Amino acid sequence: MRRYFNPAKVALNLSVFLLALFILGPILWLGVHAFVTDWKYPHLYPSGLTLNWWSKVFLDSALKTAIRNSLIISPIVVVLSMVICLPAAYAAGRKNYWGRKTFMITLFSANSFPKIGLFAAIATLYYTLNLMGTFLGVVIIQLLGTIIYMTWIPAAAFASVPRYLEEAARDAGANKFTVFRTITLRMAMPGILVAIVMSFLASFDEAQGSYLVGAPTIYTMPTEMYSLVQNYPIQVAAVFSILLAIPSVLLLGLARKHIMGGQLAEGFQIK
Amino acid sequence: MRSLLSKTGKEGSLANNGSALSLLGFALSLPPFLLVLGFVGIPILIGFTFSLGFTRGPNRVISIIGQQIHPKTHWWGTLAAYSDVFHDSRFVGDLVLTLAVTAISTVLVILIALAIALHQRLVGGRTASVLATLSIVPLFVPVVISAWAIHTFYGGDGFMRSFFANIGINFPTLTSTSTAIVIGSVWTSLPFSILMISSGVQAVPDALIESAKDCGASTLKVISTVVVPLAQTPIIIAGSFTAIGIMGSFTIPLFLGPNQPTMLGVEISNFFGAYNRPQQSLVMAFIVFLAASGIAVLYIWSNVKSAKESGRI
Amino acid sequence: MTTKKAVAVSAAIALALGVSTSASHAAMAKVQTIQVYISADTNIQDLWVKTLVPAFKAANPGYDVNVTFDLHGDHDAQETAKLTAAATLGKDAGVDLIDGGFVTTLGAAGLLFRPTVGIIPNLIDVNKTVLKAGKGGIPYRGSSVLLAYNTKNVPTPPKTLDELLTWIKNNPGKFTYNAPNGGGSGYSFVQTVVDKYLSDADRKALVAGAAPELEAKWAKGLETLRQLNKYTYGQNGTYPANNAETLKDLATGLVDMGTVWSDQFASAVKAGTMPSYIKVAQISNPTLTGGASYLGIPATSANRNKGARVLANWVLSPAAQNLIVSGTLNGFPVIPLAKLDPTATGTFAGVDIQNLRAGYLSANANDLKSKWASTVPGK
Repeated sequence: MRRYFNPAKVALNLSVFLLALFILGPILWLGVHAFVTDWKYPHLYPSGLTLNWWSKVFLDSALKTAIRNSLIISPIVVVLSMVICLPAAYAAGRKNYWGRKTFMITLFSANSFPKIGLFAAIATLYYTLNLMGTFLGVVIIQLLGTIIYMTWIPAAAFASVPRYLEEAARDAGANKFTVFRTITLRMAMPGILVAIVMSFLASFDEAQGSYLVGAPTIYTMPTEMYSLVQNYPIQVAAVFSILLAIPSVLLLGLARKHIMGGQLAEGFQIK
Repeated sequence: MRSLLSKTGKEGSLANNGSALSLLGFALSLPPFLLVLGFVGIPILIGFTFSLGFTRGPNRVISIIGQQIHPKTHWWGTLAAYSDVFHDSRFVGDLVLTLAVTAISTVLVILIALAIALHQRLVGGRTASVLATLSIVPLFVPVVISAWAIHTFYGGDGFMRSFFANIGINFPTLTSTSTAIVIGSVWTSLPFSILMISSGVQAVPDALIESAKDCGASTLKVISTVVVPLAQTPIIIAGSFTAIGIMGSFTIPLFLGPNQPTMLGVEISNFFGAYNRPQQSLVMAFIVFLAASGIAVLYIWSNVKSAKESGRI
Repeated sequence: MTTKKAVAVSAAIALALGVSTSASHAAMAKVQTIQVYISADTNIQDLWVKTLVPAFKAANPGYDVNVTFDLHGDHDAQETAKLTAAATLGKDAGVDLIDGGFVTTLGAAGLLFRPTVGIIPNLIDVNKTVLKAGKGGIPYRGSSVLLAYNTKNVPTPPKTLDELLTWIKNNPGKFTYNAPNGGGSGYSFVQTVVDKYLSDADRKALVAGAAPELEAKWAKGLETLRQLNKYTYGQNGTYPANNAETLKDLATGLVDMGTVWSDQFASAVKAGTMPSYIKVAQISNPTLTGGASYLGIPATSANRNKGARVLANWVLSPAAQNLIVSGTLNGFPVIPLAKLDPTATGTFAGVDIQNLRAGYLSANANDLKSKWASTVPGK
């Protein structure tokens, strides 16, 4: 009996299937709409196929400029964020100092304050500092959203590095910087990679603040994308969903190797 | 188990000489702290004074534009705007909905992420890794598009209804319900949690799992006493970030939820824009801010507690 | 401090350079750029970008117009914040002319450059009541909310509000209106139902000035709307978020009737996103509201006395008003029909577009949106 019908295995496969449906269903269903002219309820097939919507997206010149802006600004934001936050993350994870808990809590809550109520105050601040409508202004406002990821996650990663490995290396004669580079940093790297990915996303998707400070001189990708998505029928949103899922798929290669297996496992390793 | 806040010992994660406070540590953490204090802290402070009725200076023009503004009646301000909000039946309904949706969604996200991560760790195989990696696919899809995707999947003329209509079943329209908000929130929060939790679960050494099994522990016992406690830090981080993200969310409840009660993020926007009540809107924003601080404190407290329990403090 | 000094020094250098370059180009006419900010739906964007701006530039060389468009008022909060901050600090907000729903609110707060006939001569042709209601805004086009109906399922639409309400109850799930805080077409339906129980004098008072004491009289209308929860689309007291969603629900056949903006509907038909078997009609007793859209010149705009004024004045000229009436928009003009091209105005036969039933003053309207939200959806 067992050979032909294993209830546990069936239940497992069923839950895997349901989970896959839950996660992938909406995005696949939306994705196929990128190629259809029309899709009437309750048919499970479209009325026709077309690549029209792709040209609508690719021919939008405002979108090209906006994407270019975002692709220039976001990497700069991430690098700046690393420079400013990683030392702080290292300190938070490894050292004890006055105000450490307050520091962590403040970063978390400041990040979660609903921005809409602060627009007038932020605008006043930026006008006073002459940052309104400037590249630096947009960088700063996106940077603020990345700080929480670039501090909390690497802090946990740095804290997890086993001391005995560092001590062993020092005993073997390595100096402080070599130890840091080959042991501490290497083991915390997967955590830092997650932080980099989330920070990039936080910056790339930041819409409200970037509009407040940047418009009409600098437009970032989300503003143009949301405008296009709301202007046209669902098919345009479908085109974007496919285009923007591509970086995720590319990331999967990276994630599989470095984050969800391999090195990260060692990073969070317990003795 | 590594904790951010344990203070002692060779295994400890902190300063080499035990409890001495590090000046270098303080100095290193200043840059982001000052940046946040300046660019976010000052606007929050100005907003706080406005919520208490300080209508001059930077708040002058917004006080003229807005309706139902309560200027201060004492030297410290006034609680009239706060009273407005707490006595508004919409706010109470929204607060309850927000907290409920946040709690349910966060629990679901953690459970699903754990299930996928544990399945990959303990059972392994192609299906498991395919599932784990595919669930990161929505990571780069912005929330507006995700909201559309879920709306078209569960909506009145969406896939679920189409599919079931073809086999004669009238599947309910899930959009404009709080269930849809939960579905949307879980869906968008899943990738990050899977990244964090999967990494934590993968880190548990085989040796520990095997020795537990050798001692006769069932799979469930192995999970609850060995794997989960050891993967605690990433799980709690995932939970905290998920909870605060859902609590302040705007796009998902706007697209997928009912008009009333709605989540606080949408209500704050309604009060600020459509009803032109910026003061009351800020009061609600501070409520969300307080809740966020509460979650952060909870995280810190749980870390200290577990560090104490394991004898590290 | 050093930053201020650096700014001052660079400003001085820029000024010197600017003066020297302009001196050398004294013979060449300088092209002045007018920044226009539009917060509306896409049909208005098309109106400006494809129709008005090219015509203005052709008639007024020496001016360039840069149009910034914000869809559905998504970023009204940011724009208002910028204007607020700029006003507080006395700085230029970077926008010279605004077309958006929040113009009247800005005007009421005194943030707009007050238009007078001396400054904008063409204002003389504009209806005085409409002008006054703008609180400092310059009315430039009008539209009305109408009842859209699917001729396949509704051969003859209801003619009065009472007939409409009866139809809704007899056809559950086939009518919708969007939440008033999200779009004017739904707001109009709400105000119209509420006005059913108000006297003419009360209605006029709510249009003319802030009248919080009259707001208690909205209770009957709001109760009627609450009772409709079982009969509107979804039958569970949920409503589409904005104008565009109502149009979508009509086009996809999810509902047979809904309230829509006349110009948005006309543009959708021309764009092919609205099937031809969906038509519009006006109801009576009371009619669905309509009104003007206002332009505003921020008081702190550097261009207020020059380009912005010229553009605003031109928009009120017969040439521009003809363009608004014809084309894809089918907007209502704000100057008398006699001054316009007779062929274009033929489509308005039977619609008294100079005397549309107005919406409430923005302060009262905001209160109504708030009261609706606390008494109707989900109850």
